Amino acid sequence: MKVFVVNSNICNGCYNCQIACKDEHCGNDWSPYAKPQPDTGQFWLKQNEYVRGNVPQVKMTYIPVMCQHCENAPCMAACPVRDGIYRREDGMIVINPKTCTGCMSCVDACPYGAIFYNKDLNLAQKCTGCAHLLDKGWTEPRCVDACPTGALQFGEEADFAELFAQGETLHPEYELNTRVHYIGLPKKFIAGTVYDPAVNEVVIGATCTLTGEGETLTLETNHWGDFWFEDLKEGVYSLKIDGVGKSKTIADISTAKDVGLGDVPLE
Amino acid sequence: MEEKEKGQEANKPSRRDFLKSAGLLAGGAAVGAGATYGLMPKEPAPVEGGEVVPSAPGQAAPITKEVIKYEVKEGVLEPAFEDEVSMIRGTSGMGFGRDGMPARIETKNGKIIRSRPVRYAEEGYGPDYLKPWKIEKDGKVLEPAYKKVLITPLGLAYKKRVYSPNRIRYPLMRVDWEPGGDPAKVNPQNRGVSKYRRISWDEATTIIANELKRIQEKYGHFAVLAQADGHGEGKTVHGPHGCQTQLLRHMGPDEQSSYTAQIRVADSWEGWYWGGKHVTGWETMGTSAPSTNMTWDMAQNCELMLVSTDAETTTWGFNEQFASLVMYWLTEIGIEQVYITPDLNYAAAIHADKWIPVLPCQDAALYLAVCYIWLTEDTYDKEYLATHALGFEKFAEYVLGNEPGDPEGPKTPEWAAPRCGVPAWTIRALARNWNQKKTSLVGFMGPGMRGTYSTEPCRIQACAEGMQGYGAPGRNRYSIGGGLPSRSANIAFDRRLNQTDPAPARGLEESEVPQDYFRPHQYIRKVEIHEAILNPPLSWHGTGSPWMMASDQGRPFSYPIPKEQGGTEIHMIWTDTPCWTTCWNGGNKYIEAMRSEKIEFILTEHPWMENDTLYSDIILPTTTRTEEFDISAGAGNVWMVKDGISPIGESKTDYEVSLEVAKKLGDEYVQKYTWGRSVEDWMKYGYETRKIQELSGLTWEQFKEKGFWAAPFDAEWEAKLDAKPGARTFYEDPVANPLKTPSGLMEYESSFILANFPDDDERPPVPHWIPEGETHQDNPLGTRGEKYPLLCQSNHPRWRVHAEHDDISWLREIPTCKVKGIDGYLYEPIWLHPSEAEKRGIKDGDIIGMYNERGMVLGGAYVTERIMPGVAYQDHGARVDQIVADPNLPQSEWIDRGGANNLICPEKILSRNCGGQVGSGFLVEVTKVDINALKAKYPEAFARQYDPGSGLRFSGWVVGGEL
Repeated sequence: MKVFVVNSNICNGCYNCQIACKDEHCGNDWSPYAKPQPDTGQFWLKQNEYVRGNVPQVKMTYIPVMCQHCENAPCMAACPVRDGIYRREDGMIVINPKTCTGCMSCVDACPYGAIFYNKDLNLAQKCTGCAHLLDKGWTEPRCVDACPTGALQFGEEADFAELFAQGETLHPEYELNTRVHYIGLPKKFIAGTVYDPAVNEVVIGATCTLTGEGETLTLETNHWGDFWFEDLKEGVYSLKIDGVGKSKTIADISTAKDVGLGDVPLE
Repeated sequence: MEEKEKGQEANKPSRRDFLKSAGLLAGGAAVGAGATYGLMPKEPAPVEGGEVVPSAPGQAAPITKEVIKYEVKEGVLEPAFEDEVSMIRGTSGMGFGRDGMPARIETKNGKIIRSRPVRYAEEGYGPDYLKPWKIEKDGKVLEPAYKKVLITPLGLAYKKRVYSPNRIRYPLMRVDWEPGGDPAKVNPQNRGVSKYRRISWDEATTIIANELKRIQEKYGHFAVLAQADGHGEGKTVHGPHGCQTQLLRHMGPDEQSSYTAQIRVADSWEGWYWGGKHVTGWETMGTSAPSTNMTWDMAQNCELMLVSTDAETTTWGFNEQFASLVMYWLTEIGIEQVYITPDLNYAAAIHADKWIPVLPCQDAALYLAVCYIWLTEDTYDKEYLATHALGFEKFAEYVLGNEPGDPEGPKTPEWAAPRCGVPAWTIRALARNWNQKKTSLVGFMGPGMRGTYSTEPCRIQACAEGMQGYGAPGRNRYSIGGGLPSRSANIAFDRRLNQTDPAPARGLEESEVPQDYFRPHQYIRKVEIHEAILNPPLSWHGTGSPWMMASDQGRPFSYPIPKEQGGTEIHMIWTDTPCWTTCWNGGNKYIEAMRSEKIEFILTEHPWMENDTLYSDIILPTTTRTEEFDISAGAGNVWMVKDGISPIGESKTDYEVSLEVAKKLGDEYVQKYTWGRSVEDWMKYGYETRKIQELSGLTWEQFKEKGFWAAPFDAEWEAKLDAKPGARTFYEDPVANPLKTPSGLMEYESSFILANFPDDDERPPVPHWIPEGETHQDNPLGTRGEKYPLLCQSNHPRWRVHAEHDDISWLREIPTCKVKGIDGYLYEPIWLHPSEAEKRGIKDGDIIGMYNERGMVLGGAYVTERIMPGVAYQDHGARVDQIVADPNLPQSEWIDRGGANNLICPEKILSRNCGGQVGSGFLVEVTKVDINALKAKYPEAFARQYDPGSGLRFSGWVVGGEL
């Protein structure tokens, strides 16, 4: 059974995957596997970009999401047409464009928003895993073929055991047994630069203590005066900074979004 | 999380809105299992011929073993099983007779269906043949891309360029232009206003031939300007940017007296060419720092990289995405990456360990302050400077504030902070870390790229490098991937082998061969075309061509050349794949020049109806690579350009365009233009003379059949790793291994500038902080800064190659590519920090205008933490789409909807004696725009046919619409 592995740690945000998918399916009829995707508006694979933090403590994470080819596919269950959406031996889920009635039950059923309605053709459409190419002898779909960094991989489940150990799936609480594994899904960070306004110098080796969400973490500011608390939960934290004989507390830091505290004076 | 949802198809509103607000759409934030639809599978319907596995909650749904597949239905093959034809095409946007990034492009029934990266093994060149090198540090491996081409999205979307609704389908003539030179019939004031009508090739080429003869006879041969340079598709025989010169050069008394050339000046690294190389001797480009084994030196020795470039973007146009893999590897092996840039650029976004935001082109202040710290804390390499530098004492005096007459005083971090936007404490930390860690500087973009007075930040940066012992282990200048082993064969069709050898790349960009023996006697530097037309005569120093040594910068030239030598002002322009308006210095001024009565005829050839074509008199449609028969090469690969599709409409190749004109001029011109060779003869000539036959062992006929040859990697690479990296030899022995400066040393006081321009306060012998001067007044802390408080940062675009690819609908769906306005138009994003947006009542997605005295360009507000306050960032190269550019109105009132900010960037050259452009780091203000008010005021502009997917439509400019 085939699986995808998406590694956001090495996804450089080039959008090759999203564009390769468009190239394959926009304006191309792959009946009986899929009808053409409209030129714009559908994203059978969608790249998602996240700008995290505040100037100057800002990072980006890119997370491409395609149909998760769930083992326990809600779209299949929702489809009122017999074999209207079917699962192949390689595990890819395909909407049959010939029998689809355009009722949109699957569009509503998919919690990943991976199914789109084509109003010109009156069809539900989504990623097919490039099944038409796999059947022709391709070893991977277009998105994986185009990926320059190896952030996207595709292959037999058994070959990815090691990667799966590090990975996670999207929304495991849905219990859909998805066939796309993710590595590098971001948690939150709180970062900042500590400086001493009396002398306009960064403070190196200041002790930063972060408390919240049931944990206490300690870091020392580095050679830039920077601290980065990473892999935090979403919640509320309190930060205490000690250095150059002074102390500062910043309370009620919410990690609903990643936080760049900017330049923090110790005074 | 900042997620852009624009461009989503409208679906059943209620449910999709719920999913959207719950953040559950592809990749959105988790909310919890509460929102569920159909998670419990129904009883599966029985499957014919298949196994039915009874399902229960949490159990897998059934596999339909009988996969529905019809290969042939009613005697007809299903589309998925139809035959495909495959061709190889490069996807590089470099032009200049060079190509790269080959893709396999498949067609079906004569129509392109896909573009995918070439896989070497599939072509018969697996790893056993290629023998890729391998570098390892601490168990982390770096290898070249030997499995597949690391194509970019621009290459994947290539068919959209071919089939763009913007393709010019047939020759066009402006409705109110007539040949003959009578201003009442030329109506030059209407260029950019009037539409076009269809004419035949026969009519077009007859007019062109006659106009050429008329103008040459009336004024002299130099009256015709061949504007023949710029980036474009990578081609060989059919190359853009220069085929017309292969014809024109035979029309005068001798080849150098036949037309006026446009010389391409260094564009994108001006500060290094006109400034930096006077310190470093990195001839000729200014960026040609010694790069032998540089990646190896970085791996062995470097601890800290200071980066001012975007190797995740700039290389896309021309090279693959290999730089991306190198940057990941550099981090893996423990090198710290610190980005000193106004924006968190696309490389910084994923590779930066630290981002130090600096105001656009104000870096000189930062580096001066760093030098100040080293001087006052005595943390610099005095011994090195004693033997490797010239004039350091004078530079040190300037930094310390002891130079007589210097109004700035000591260049302390407190002095620098308000000027460059970097806090004083971080400046100090930078100075200390740069000194204490083995630090290499990366990249030549940043202020050196099209910035105001960019010579100075580049020189000062190099001065700083010298103070820490440039050339020492880990202390070099690095370009990502520099010095790595390459392919054994460097095949280039664009280089002439000798003075009599014609390059197989017929569209050779003539201005890249600027040597006196080849260049037409009368020429204009590209940065001064508008000035030359509007305010002649001009005089200047330095051809500015990227291939000239620093000494060229002292040579005087003028336009026009003396009458006795045939000199004359230009009266005709023959331009080829142009984009001056959106890529160079002062597009609006250029438009004014195009509307001068002096210019009686503007002839343009281009595949797409965009930018400069809108200011032409006759437009000829040219082909893309997929519609041609040619040979092409790049990065050690050579391929046949065959099995293509038919030309779109009536388009011809650039080679054919000039051939058609030659036919009208007479057989003698056909002979001289073609050298009696057919297109295939030229291809074969290239194949043979550029030694491909020797290397590949394939005859021409065999290569034609095989279609692709790849050179293996350099077999000697491992032995070559012993060669001293970068500037190590200079570091170890500056006398035996001098730099290419006049003294052979790093010149803190430039001998050349001292000898030639000793009183030039815009590029003084010792580099200075120059906030403003006679040529430019783009100082945010100066008077103009009160009215225009933001600095415009304009980078190499992410989703284009300069002006190319602006019309690809799939790219335009990407949030940083275009922002959809409330009017449905896709605007060029203008990045603003939330604090700047809030000050002006601007919200993310608003239509805004960026303006100064030279006019206004619109954009879509992209409010983000990826840009520092004090900056408005908009990539250059968006297509011009003027709402108002009325020649009767002052330029300050012109408004462009497309976001082509080169229309409003400074028109003047880099500085008095430096012929570069300023496309970034200039002052602007931004404001919310009432698009409905503009629509009411200028209904015609808004009535032009427009397609949100691809933008401007060809039919919008042609009378009779789409025929």
